Amino acid sequence: METLCPCWVGEHPAEPKVDSHYCPSCLENMPSAEAKLKKNRCANCFDCPCCMHTLSTRATNIPAPMPDDPTKTTMKKAYYLACGFCRWTSRDVGMADKSVASGGWQEPENPHTQRINKLIEYYQQLAQRERQERDRKKMARRRQCMPMAFSEKYGLGTRLQRQRAGAPLSSLAGLTLKEGEDQKEIIIEPAQALDEVEPLPEDCYTRPINLPEVTTLRQRLLQPDFQPSGASQLHPKHKHLLMKRSLRCRKCEHNLSKPEFNPTSIKFKIQLVAVSYIPEVRIMSIPNLRYMKESQVLLTLTNPVENLTHVTLVACEEGDPEDVNSTAKVMVPTKELVLAGKDAAADYDELAEPQDFQDDPDVVAFRKSNKIGFFIKVVPQKEGDTDVLVSFKIRHDFRNLAAPIRPNEEAGDATTEAIWLTHHVELSLGPLAP
Amino acid sequence: SFTMTDKQNIQKSVKIAAGAVVCVESEIRGDVTIGPRTVVHPKARIIAEAGPIVIGEGNLIEEQALIINSYPENITPDSEGVEPKTMTIGINNVFEVGCVSQALKIGDNNVIESKADVGRNVILTSGCIIGAFCQVNTCEVIPDNTVLYGSGCLRRVQTERPQPQTLQLDFLMKILPNYHHLKKTVKASQNPS
Repeated sequence: METLCPCWVGEHPAEPKVDSHYCPSCLENMPSAEAKLKKNRCANCFDCPCCMHTLSTRATNIPAPMPDDPTKTTMKKAYYLACGFCRWTSRDVGMADKSVASGGWQEPENPHTQRINKLIEYYQQLAQRERQERDRKKMARRRQCMPMAFSEKYGLGTRLQRQRAGAPLSSLAGLTLKEGEDQKEIIIEPAQALDEVEPLPEDCYTRPINLPEVTTLRQRLLQPDFQPSGASQLHPKHKHLLMKRSLRCRKCEHNLSKPEFNPTSIKFKIQLVAVSYIPEVRIMSIPNLRYMKESQVLLTLTNPVENLTHVTLVACEEGDPEDVNSTAKVMVPTKELVLAGKDAAADYDELAEPQDFQDDPDVVAFRKSNKIGFFIKVVPQKEGDTDVLVSFKIRHDFRNLAAPIRPNEEAGDATTEAIWLTHHVELSLGPLAP
Repeated sequence: SFTMTDKQNIQKSVKIAAGAVVCVESEIRGDVTIGPRTVVHPKARIIAEAGPIVIGEGNLIEEQALIINSYPENITPDSEGVEPKTMTIGINNVFEVGCVSQALKIGDNNVIESKADVGRNVILTSGCIIGAFCQVNTCEVIPDNTVLYGSGCLRRVQTERPQPQTLQLDFLMKILPNYHHLKKTVKASQNPS
């Protein structure tokens, strides 16, 4: 999505940022902290381990002994997971039917979880310590009064300042343990290398492969904890959450695109897309294009904004770095084209007087509210099967309507300043006529 | 003797058993035998060109399904020495909307999902599910309880066979006669209804 920032004077790719998490099947919203805790997975929905589609819960009636009277049986509902696409069911891997519709399904426990968690804690502590040392070295280079001033001004927000509260001059104290550090030293043992490894089974080479039982690489790698080689050990995993992202301009930190928080809504709170500000060039009709013969192509220019826009077209110069693909010479109209503003009520207002623009009939073919049709001349330069590609630059005035109007301007001069933007346009006109 | 009307399009070798529900809008041509409790929806087509078709009981043939016993491609209808092969379809099969089945031998409890295409040289055993839009034109016997799914016709084996659609069949056998005329088998002494 091409975005347009009010500070736009050149190419600034927007910086994406995570806005909110949601589950694609149950559309449940989750704040980022909760998502991180749940490892970016939904708590209710599962994915089929075989074909990765969403699993649905199905119910069957099974006879079960009544609690009061073991001899009589009553129908109880039992739930199992099933995939509508590949017909996988939770019974295939031996998971027993549950008596509750949701919440009864557990992912199998990874036997190495404890060791992994311990390793993570140890390395987190190590990283934190290294970070503190690095910061301490940085702070020690500054004047000594500065750290005190900083920590008082900005409060005890950061971890650094929290631990410095008791000892502001500890930067010179060296490598002592700080007070308030409540983590005890975590010791981990290095992994043990074993001398003896389980030998391969004897019939490893002679046993015929049961192909339906072998898991595909994709199925295997989607479960990195276990990576089962047999299909009967493929357990369903919780569904991955999707993210909505917001875009922000790198230069001026302006929010360019902010979606709605509600996962069911596809609208945006802020949406500054280029399409709604830059005039749109469309191809209307193409005559037969012949090699080295000049033909006229009819293009339209549509003005998406509500105020008058002036557009100038300029052919690309020799050696233009953006002009890589063009295979034809193009002659664009030299005069400035004026586009009327987009008027939403124009369709309904029959009494509106058509604005008089005095169009040159050689250049402008027609004019209809905020759209004009104009001609360009094209001379294809390449023979053969490739499409005829032309490129040119379009220069238009962009008024930033979002910026506040300065209060000391007079009422008559209420328009904002126009910025002239230039864009490179490439049009593919299809193949040469046979 | 019987009369042939344009609407009914029944040829003399169509034998429809007593409990079957075959809508008049379906097209049945050639030597076709349909077992009891089978439901044939309107716009389904069962065409026995190159040989007879025998359909068992409890089958569900939905709209725009095409079951055709056609000549193999390299043989013209007029060539000699071509023996008509019978296409047999077992019990409790489901032919979903828009599927095409040319398989000569289909067992029991199979499901051919929507817009699937099963070729002539495929033999379906029992409990097989041919997924939607899967085109199977290999020359093989598909083992029991196999599911073919996905664009690459991936396969896997199920542990249980698909359930027979008894509920659906009962419902249809009750409701369809309320809205459609049914074909009955044509006997010499009986008028087609």
